[in-house]
Amino acid sequence: MGSPIRILTAVPICDGHDSAINTINLEFIRHGIEVVYLGYHRSVGDIVRAAVQEDVRAIGISSYNGGHVEFFAEVVDLLRKKSAADIKVFGGGGGTITHEDAATMRRKGVDEIFFAGTSLEDMVKFAHQRYGKPRGKRARAKTSDIELARMLTEIEDGYAKIKGKTSKTRPAMSKSSTRVIGFTGPGGAGKTTLIDELVLRFLNKDRQSRVAILSHDPSVIGEGALLGDRATMINSQNDRVFMRSMATRGQAGGLSPATQDCLALLADSDFDYVIIETVGTGQEAMPFRKNGIVDQTVLVMNPDYGSRLQLQKIVMLDLADIVVVNKSDLQRARTAHTEIGQRLEQNRRAQRLVDTVAKRHRDSGVDKLFGLISASDKSKRGKERKKS
Amino acid sequence: MSKLGQVVESVEKYNQFVLEEVKRARSDQKFGRDLLGRWNDIKAKIPITRAPTGLPLPRLALPEIDEPGEIARFLFGEGLPGEFPFLNGAYREMYLEPIREVESFEKNGEVKKSKTDKKIPQAEEPTRLFSGLMLAEDTNERFHFLTAHQRTHRLSTAFDGPTLYGIDSDADGVFGKIGEGGVAIDTVEDMVRLYDGFDLGSAIFSASMTISGPAPIIMAMYIAAAKRRFGSSVVPKLRGTIQADIFKEVQAQNETIFPIEPSLRFLTDMVEFTTREMPRWYPISISGYHIGEAGSTPVQQAAYTLSNGFAYAEMFAARGIPVDQFGPRLSFFLDCGLDVEYIALARVSRRIWAIGMREVFGAGPKAQLYKLHTQTSGRSLIAAEFKNNLTRTAAELMLAYMNATNSCHSNSADEPFTTPSEEWIRLAAHGQAILLEESGIFKHTMNMLSGSPGMKAVERAVEAAILEEFREIERLGGVLAAVEDRYQRSQIQNASHRYEQQINDGTRPIIALNKYRNGSDEDMPEVKLARTPRKKQQLQVDRLAKFKKKNAEKSKRALDKLAAVVETGKNCFPELLDAVEVCSLGQITGRLQEVVGRFRPMV
Repeated sequence: MGSPIRILTAVPICDGHDSAINTINLEFIRHGIEVVYLGYHRSVGDIVRAAVQEDVRAIGISSYNGGHVEFFAEVVDLLRKKSAADIKVFGGGGGTITHEDAATMRRKGVDEIFFAGTSLEDMVKFAHQRYGKPRGKRARAKTSDIELARMLTEIEDGYAKIKGKTSKTRPAMSKSSTRVIGFTGPGGAGKTTLIDELVLRFLNKDRQSRVAILSHDPSVIGEGALLGDRATMINSQNDRVFMRSMATRGQAGGLSPATQDCLALLADSDFDYVIIETVGTGQEAMPFRKNGIVDQTVLVMNPDYGSRLQLQKIVMLDLADIVVVNKSDLQRARTAHTEIGQRLEQNRRAQRLVDTVAKRHRDSGVDKLFGLISASDKSKRGKERKKS
Repeated sequence: MSKLGQVVESVEKYNQFVLEEVKRARSDQKFGRDLLGRWNDIKAKIPITRAPTGLPLPRLALPEIDEPGEIARFLFGEGLPGEFPFLNGAYREMYLEPIREVESFEKNGEVKKSKTDKKIPQAEEPTRLFSGLMLAEDTNERFHFLTAHQRTHRLSTAFDGPTLYGIDSDADGVFGKIGEGGVAIDTVEDMVRLYDGFDLGSAIFSASMTISGPAPIIMAMYIAAAKRRFGSSVVPKLRGTIQADIFKEVQAQNETIFPIEPSLRFLTDMVEFTTREMPRWYPISISGYHIGEAGSTPVQQAAYTLSNGFAYAEMFAARGIPVDQFGPRLSFFLDCGLDVEYIALARVSRRIWAIGMREVFGAGPKAQLYKLHTQTSGRSLIAAEFKNNLTRTAAELMLAYMNATNSCHSNSADEPFTTPSEEWIRLAAHGQAILLEESGIFKHTMNMLSGSPGMKAVERAVEAAILEEFREIERLGGVLAAVEDRYQRSQIQNASHRYEQQINDGTRPIIALNKYRNGSDEDMPEVKLARTPRKKQQLQVDRLAKFKKKNAEKSKRALDKLAAVVETGKNCFPELLDAVEVCSLGQITGRLQEVVGRFRPMV
């Protein structure tokens, strides 16, 4: 089975018209396309950076607020400048883009502009016909980000070819200077927001460090997926952050068949922190293997987990190094803190419990979590892992 | 229970009250007689008007009832136009043409004539057109063109993308968007240029500014610009509206720049200031239009707009602003499309608002009014055989007037494929004049089309559905919690998706698109758009650089002071007023974001 087409979609800077793109995203997904959705009000730099890192086949831009001739041209130009001209650009914008504009835009390197009244079917057909064929031989990667992005694609596509294949085990070793942190927890607990807030703190801590994020969204084999974590991130749109969104492509448990290998590659690359985020998981999930390359695991909980009994069933409560009760401004947060605290005590391990309100700017809980993550002794943990 | 829950209860209780009054009118003879007497009085006082053909008609049409129970149902359940609960209209006369002679039926049945001493205002061509293009001076020129022959100068201002997002024209990647779709405003100097030549303190002038995310900063710039030109004494005289609707931005339009809570706090700071210092200003326009255009159902639109309004009222009251100070300064803005709900959507909204404001917030009569501006639906217009859009807009206008909207904007038929051109703008505006001034439908008699059995049926169904939406929002913990939970957003998106699917599968007929299509949709005129030339965009960037250089020292101090006050939680609007003198929009936004954070987009 071939790999799904990966397309990045976005709405330009100073434009919040996301109604059309939301509909188109859903239609693409229904027809087997993996859509990395970057959201609205996104700059040329943000779009091109994301497209390069995600190694998508094409960028679809939905523009309603004018300035499209310049904006599309800048995207094409920046892709060229970044030696990523094999990523194509298409888009539309209802009535705001005239036929004359469209002609200019095509001349400047845009593949296709859809006008008002184009059916969703036609757009899907276009995407399949134009971007569905396997890529030919690609020119040598000129930057390390491109090289890394392509290697990730190769790993992912390798698994797609062999249905049901699970991760071959690469040497589970990260560079001693790289910390790998795994985030998991039920959907809607606020993992993405929390990670984005932590990224802000990583970036501010020192001016050189780089962070990689490997983020997951669910999908069924051979079908599309909405990879939407980037759309709600604000601090991670940064040249010092390398983010890759992966669909689980049919694997249960919160990760993709290719995750282990992709993670190993990232951990072995030049990052100070590698963050891995699972899909929203169920009670039985244990996404990170014991003695794997994840240095530290964080379970992010919502205060609304149901009764105290439910806590006994959550396997990750035994395994996580840090448990976060996010949204701790909710009424139930106190109860949650007490109950989860007692649950962790049974384990008699040095697990930490942190309350956060990730949506809040400069939240002291997130500061505390950041302290726990960034301060723990990497080299010692690394040795422990190798011994075991 | 949040105030919204109390609103639901108050409406239910009010409906119960009406039923009881109906019963009492039938069982309590004295009460019944009193009602009948009052009813006959009302009828006797209705002036008579004459159609151009000479046909005599009452200025107010009432149902033909003479049974006390039914009279109670009408008077308490609907109210006369201008009377609680305002189902039939916020004001008594609305669109009625002035009459020179008042005729009335005296008790003995004779017609008495008397001269009216009221001044007769002449209708003006509807020209409050949404404008904004290129740089401040270009929009200013356009404003002067639009108002050249008008006695009142009512300007409606559209801002460009960078301004709407609170960033400067020199920000990374916005070149190309400067002055596109609206005017570029970076500094108070731009604001001075924008309204140059207009007498901002005059009673015939009002400015409307369609901006929400950075509204408090833009408001401060407007005040500062007015002060530069007319001195401090102009401030209490300023008239106009600024949109400043944060909830609908988060729910539908996506032009939010700070996280929700600080956004609401800055808004409340502004409202506290303007309702005290600028009693003629409308500091918020609670807008369903963008919710409707984002694809909501009509009921969702009305329900979210109302509940947002109640949430604002709760917030302003919690700040300690008296309800009779802020209540009359709230206004509403709805979309009007072709779905059947629009027959009564605004009528029901007006009633729920009045009951909620009176019963839950203790508002006096002026603070109970749901003052409404309606715009016809842009979304209902399509490019294929676009001249059909004239009919669509005309039907929507008709519905809007049946709802007794206080003012209206009609869209141009060419909107689906271009910025409206002069020709089609004129046709759209004339649609209003034809309905209100040329036709006899609305100008002779109030309630001309109110109260049909069909309209009543829609009212009941719509009210029930709106209250059910309120209950759901209440279950989620109130408006703010529901917004943060993306409830309204996701409901709107689902509705939008369903709408598209219905067009696709033909269950929602759109003439000339999925039904009666002629095959060729090439009747679109070739359009030439007014784009902002690169040279002009560069001029704006250069001006801004000069402003920043000139104020480099002062701006730093002003921003520090602003940030310090924001940290304390005190009302920061006075510091904003100082800051805009020496800081650009983007500088202020940036500094505020450092303190309170940036808005995290919702998908």
